[in-house]
Amino acid sequence: MFGPHPLMAQTMEENPPKVNKWDGNALKNALDDAVKDVLLTQFSYVESHKLLDGRLIISSVAVGFSIFALAWDWLYPFPQSRTVMCVCVMAYFVMMGVLTWYTTCLEHGIFCTALNKDAAGIDPDDVWNASSSLKRPFFSRFDNKYHLRLAQRMGKTGKGKEAHTTLTVEHFFDDTGKLLYGSVAKEVLRLHSDVDNKKN
Amino acid sequence: MLQFDFLDDLRRMNMRQLFYQVLNFAMIVSSALMIWKGLMVVTGSESPIVVVLSGSMEPAFQRGDLLFLTNYEQEPIRAGEIVVFKVEGRDIPIVHRVMKVHEKDDGSVKFLTKGDNNNVDDRGLYANGQAWLNRKDVVGRARGYVPFIGIVTIIMNDYPKFKLEDSSNRMEAEASTSLHLQLA
Repeated sequence: MFGPHPLMAQTMEENPPKVNKWDGNALKNALDDAVKDVLLTQFSYVESHKLLDGRLIISSVAVGFSIFALAWDWLYPFPQSRTVMCVCVMAYFVMMGVLTWYTTCLEHGIFCTALNKDAAGIDPDDVWNASSSLKRPFFSRFDNKYHLRLAQRMGKTGKGKEAHTTLTVEHFFDDTGKLLYGSVAKEVLRLHSDVDNKKN
Repeated sequence: MLQFDFLDDLRRMNMRQLFYQVLNFAMIVSSALMIWKGLMVVTGSESPIVVVLSGSMEPAFQRGDLLFLTNYEQEPIRAGEIVVFKVEGRDIPIVHRVMKVHEKDDGSVKFLTKGDNNNVDDRGLYANGQAWLNRKDVVGRARGYVPFIGIVTIIMNDYPKFKLEDSSNRMEAEASTSLHLQLA
């Protein structure tokens, strides 16, 4: 009853995902998932959901305003509800603006934040951020350059180091569109040691 | 033990993703709703966009035309204007032209309407014993229109209309009808 679930037993390493190799978005998502998987399984890092939580909170507030507006208008039909409507509508679009700012500026392509927790539990954690983007060369219709950036901020000193790499997606997928987990792991490990070894 | 932690982690991650997907969908619906409410506030009308359902205003408006309404209190109602009004007790708005207006010094007004393509005025459509319409019956004044786009709501609405067996309702349906365009 408490044995491993058949699907859970297969890690991404054993069962890499297969994607449509012409779909740039799917490629980026698969690569991001793989990088995240490497970061969390190869090192004993814990995933931090702070960024996603922020996004959830902003969206929830926005939807909250809209639900409130709906309820208020239903209870007090239109002409009376005018000021409340006005406030809710403006608040909603302000929240949308905040969300857009949050995703473009704050998140900025970061898809995984992992924490290197201190064993003794005394010092603050080191924060590792992985961000990526899939750009395409100007002359081509297809996205094929995957930029991966790994950044570390030491918890103790507050100093940051980073390393990045740019590789074509063909490097990580085989002909059928199946993800080559080994290549991803190799790149991530290489970037990780690059960042670790860099002098502050 | 480790197996359990891993499962919990996965389940927790999926809960967040699930919640995020739900929120995404809610935001799409909310955006439409907020735009509609915003239009209501800006135009001052409880139904800023309506579809013309009958031919009672031909040749000015055909069936399927989309009308944009405003309902500013300061603007007086004048004969010759096209207004959308609701008769008390019925919730389908009607779009017709104002024929006669009586206005008092204090600003209160009563007016009579008639569809351009109808032979008689709308007194037959008003509530029992009502001979004039008031300011509060007005949903808005037609300010602009887009032809033909509303034909979709007519197609969706034609079915229930034919189910009406009451003869007085049939007369009303033929004389003048139009429908709320629900955006949210």
